[in-house]
Amino acid sequence: MTVFRTSLRNFFAHKGRMALSAVAVLLSVAFVSGTLVFTDTMNTTFDKLFATSAADVTVSPKGAEATEAPATGRPETLPADLVDEVGSVEGVKSAEGAVSSMSVTVVNSENKNMGSTTGAPTIAANWTENELKSMEIASGHAPRGPTEVMVDADTADKHNLKMGDELRTIAVTGDFTAKISGIADFKVTNPGAAVVFYDTATAQRELLGKEGLFTQVLVVADAGVSDEALKKNLASALEQPYKLQTAKEAADAGREEVGSFLDVMKYAMLGFAGIAFLVGIFLIVNTFSMLVAQRTREIGLMRAIGSSRKQVNRSVLIEAVLLGLVGSIAGVAAGVGLAVGLMRMMSAVGMNLSTDDLTVKWTTPVVGMVLGIVVTTLAAYIPARRAGKVSPMAALRDSGMPTDAKAGWIRGGTGLVLTAAGAAALVAATQAGKASEGSMFLGLGVVLSLIGFVVIGPLLAGGVVRVISALVLRMFGPVGRMAERNALRNPRRTGATGAALMIGLALVACLSVVGSSMVASATEELDKSVGADFIVQSATMGPIVPQAQQALKKTPGLEHVTEYKGVDAKITAPDGTTEDLQLAAADPTYAQDLRRETVAGELSAAYGKDAISVGSDYADRRGVKVGDTIEVDFKNGRPAELKVAAITSDDTNVDKGAMYLNITTAARYIPAEKMPENMIMFAKAVDGQEKEAYTALKKSLAEYPQYKVQNQTDFKQDLKDQIGQLLNIVYGLLALAIIVAVLGVVNTLALSVVERTREIGLMRAIGLSRRQLRRMIRLESVVIALFGALLGLGLGMGWGTSAQKLLALEGLGVLDIPWPTIITVFVGSAFVGLFAALVPAFRAGRMNVLNAIATE
Amino acid sequence: MTTAVTTPAYGETGGRTAVAARGRQVVKAYGAGETRVVALDHVDVDIARGQFTAIMGPSGSGKSTLMHCLAGLDTVTSGQIFLDDTEITGLKDKKLTQLRRDRVGFIFQAFNLLPTLNALENITLPMDIAGRKPDAAWLNRVVETVGLAERLGHRPTQLSGGQQQRVAVARALAARPEIIFGDEPTGNLDSRAGAEVLGFLRRSVDELGQTIVMVTHDPVAASYADRVLYLADGRIVDEMLRPTAEAVLDRMKDFDARGRTS
Repeated sequence: MTVFRTSLRNFFAHKGRMALSAVAVLLSVAFVSGTLVFTDTMNTTFDKLFATSAADVTVSPKGAEATEAPATGRPETLPADLVDEVGSVEGVKSAEGAVSSMSVTVVNSENKNMGSTTGAPTIAANWTENELKSMEIASGHAPRGPTEVMVDADTADKHNLKMGDELRTIAVTGDFTAKISGIADFKVTNPGAAVVFYDTATAQRELLGKEGLFTQVLVVADAGVSDEALKKNLASALEQPYKLQTAKEAADAGREEVGSFLDVMKYAMLGFAGIAFLVGIFLIVNTFSMLVAQRTREIGLMRAIGSSRKQVNRSVLIEAVLLGLVGSIAGVAAGVGLAVGLMRMMSAVGMNLSTDDLTVKWTTPVVGMVLGIVVTTLAAYIPARRAGKVSPMAALRDSGMPTDAKAGWIRGGTGLVLTAAGAAALVAATQAGKASEGSMFLGLGVVLSLIGFVVIGPLLAGGVVRVISALVLRMFGPVGRMAERNALRNPRRTGATGAALMIGLALVACLSVVGSSMVASATEELDKSVGADFIVQSATMGPIVPQAQQALKKTPGLEHVTEYKGVDAKITAPDGTTEDLQLAAADPTYAQDLRRETVAGELSAAYGKDAISVGSDYADRRGVKVGDTIEVDFKNGRPAELKVAAITSDDTNVDKGAMYLNITTAARYIPAEKMPENMIMFAKAVDGQEKEAYTALKKSLAEYPQYKVQNQTDFKQDLKDQIGQLLNIVYGLLALAIIVAVLGVVNTLALSVVERTREIGLMRAIGLSRRQLRRMIRLESVVIALFGALLGLGLGMGWGTSAQKLLALEGLGVLDIPWPTIITVFVGSAFVGLFAALVPAFRAGRMNVLNAIATE
Repeated sequence: MTTAVTTPAYGETGGRTAVAARGRQVVKAYGAGETRVVALDHVDVDIARGQFTAIMGPSGSGKSTLMHCLAGLDTVTSGQIFLDDTEITGLKDKKLTQLRRDRVGFIFQAFNLLPTLNALENITLPMDIAGRKPDAAWLNRVVETVGLAERLGHRPTQLSGGQQQRVAVARALAARPEIIFGDEPTGNLDSRAGAEVLGFLRRSVDELGQTIVMVTHDPVAASYADRVLYLADGRIVDEMLRPTAEAVLDRMKDFDARGRTS
């Protein structure tokens, strides 16, 4: 009990020194619990949405996908008389035909897309009774007749739409314009979809091309009839096999789809939280090491009067548990705040999440606290053991601080072995013949070299700090020299502090190398292979509607326009094996738009009647040669026997493994209404008219804002932007780990200042000015930060280069080290060092000279 | 007797006054109202140039406070302090720091040296901080005087307590300050090492013309001084010139007895 009381008193006596460690725990725990709360809340939101919007039983066509728009742009349909048929089944209270399509784009009178920018769909539907479960009409009235449309309130707010405004709906079946007759509000949270409603006849005509068709029949059960029983009744009563889903099944299906996306997000964010925890460990280790060092005499006294090693050890660990507890409790609370903040942020980009749905499961605080406490205690274990080893003699010795043992030979040896093993694994990764085995080596190499660097960090600190000082600090004269000595006096501490920063920056460097190599490789590949001047595709990856295709084809100044469709088919090779693949059905001009090397045959021959080309990988795998016949069973079409006319080389990034055939070949086997719409289109300008054609193209597609018209420069820039955006998100998430590492630098400096109180007093007494003192501390901080940055960037560039060499197998052929980024990070870390020293330097400057030198 | 203002006995030619430091009506009080504690109570004091002055007194008499105030380490509540003819009371931290750096030397009881610097670097530290080059000949002479020539490359942890204090003395002397303040510089040393350090201080006064003020409660240490000032309850109560250890001890016993009967 006494041990506990001592720990408790120590903990509160040193709460200032623990503060930054607690903040580090807090941040990591907050990130974990924030992620959990946020994703749980998203799940709740979607659950509610699905649960309220689904009918008791939904009847849909057999092959219909619930959440994905079909490639044809035409939803699968049901005949109108099915509604009556369903209505007469036992247990059915009412049946209602519904029309809905996600293959639409809605624009306002200025041709601005009303759809979400976050990837949520635009849904066009008829207004049914069922909608009233999740929506209510806020103003105006439900759409009546072909000129009226109702829009959801969120979209109306976002785009400032008013009653009477015109909205144009663009569907595969054509464009049509209607005036807003009503605005409907969601009763549950709308996660961002834009929704428009028409009356049933209009919806059928404009979305499905024909009246008398529905996409779903929504069934309401009689009182006392369960959804399951109703489904059974329907299954036995209906002749043709339809897809039947109870409300629960529909909700589950929806949840599953959204859930898997949310899971990916959740685990990615937890991964970054894990990195922050890892970095936090260094901070905690440093804090406890310093506390133990400062308390050496006290611990010696405890030992001298009879405390056992175990008791001393335990007393330190109890403090760690307390720290973990305080940090985690605050962290869980902060996590909830973080989740709310994230939800607000999502609202700002159009995904309205309501805090009413805020979901804090009991597991969230438990996971957060357990993680926080376990990690803190584990981190404190080494310093605690060292405390246990303090001899009773320490109480008698005057030299308050034991000079931290020189980083020993064992440490150096272990570190070198680990680093060497890591380097060897990285080299092995670059030499690997297959990406799969190489990635194992790469992972191993990354982990081993990281641990190796952490272990030999304190040894490297000596050399690296001297070099950095020689370059940076010497110009500051004696103050710089003292800063250098201070950074060097405890290599373990400097090493650990730098290592914390190293981890985050190594990841930044690695990803920046891989990212810019991706851009460089793709650019090179595009320059080599793309012959088309213009590329047209949907920003949301939807198909290109025929009216847009027509507009495109009518553009003046174009030498040719190429259509390109993805066609699903089951392919049977001569050896009898079958695979489900997507074929590239295109116009023959595609061979000019995208130059592909062939290993056998001529690519142009593949566009001949009943011909096809295959990729070299497939050809090798199945032993296919030019002249062989393969069976192609088109989905939604007839089987065909196609002759292999060419084999393309798969040593490429663009269209790797694609099998090409002429659209006319595909059209022979696939009925027109089942033919997928163009995924992407290419165009080539008449020589010398590129500029004019580009302007003309943009103009002719102005009415269809969902499509991007890009020339090669745009396309490359777009690619660069996309990779840049992805990198920025990752950097943003890594910022957490870097912030914790910066806290670590602040922590080390702050504790060092406390530890060196008397020294500072002495220096002030003999004439060191406040400014010089502050500068000394700032310079020490800069050196530590630069040390961490140098190690991190070096390590990260090594990782990135190895990854690129490995991925060269997958087409990442060009190594591009983004020196501007690397140098910016390096210079930036010097500023981070200055920033980290702000408070410690200020406090050191304010220290009372007399208190500092007073002998007790 | 509340003053120790003496007529200049060791006048020098060349403009400098014979008094190295002066205190006039110096009051140092802590707290306010009922908890007010007066550490220095209207003290007038003159420190003669080229002399070794010891300040003695029981614990809590204000002797360390007086020294800290004279040295510009601590501020006074009222009164004036002059170093040579510069008034230091009222100076801002920046000026005070410069003054300590350029004109004053310090020797503390313990922890005089920076552990990261070797002996020589510690000695030249005040000049380094000021960005001045040490005078090589003078530095050699100081190092010779304190007998450290062999140990200049050693770190403080590699030196004995006596050696460490000698390095501190050398540092105080090296910058040729107008005045050196010592706060029980031998308090942590055994008698032999203490005698060594005090011997150097004495020699630096005799041979180098240094002015030294030393706080001590050791009569033997005080006997090295030219003049001893006695403090009690924040006032200067007595003064002794050319003291011996016995005389100092007797005087202190006297005070003790008086203190008990009063």
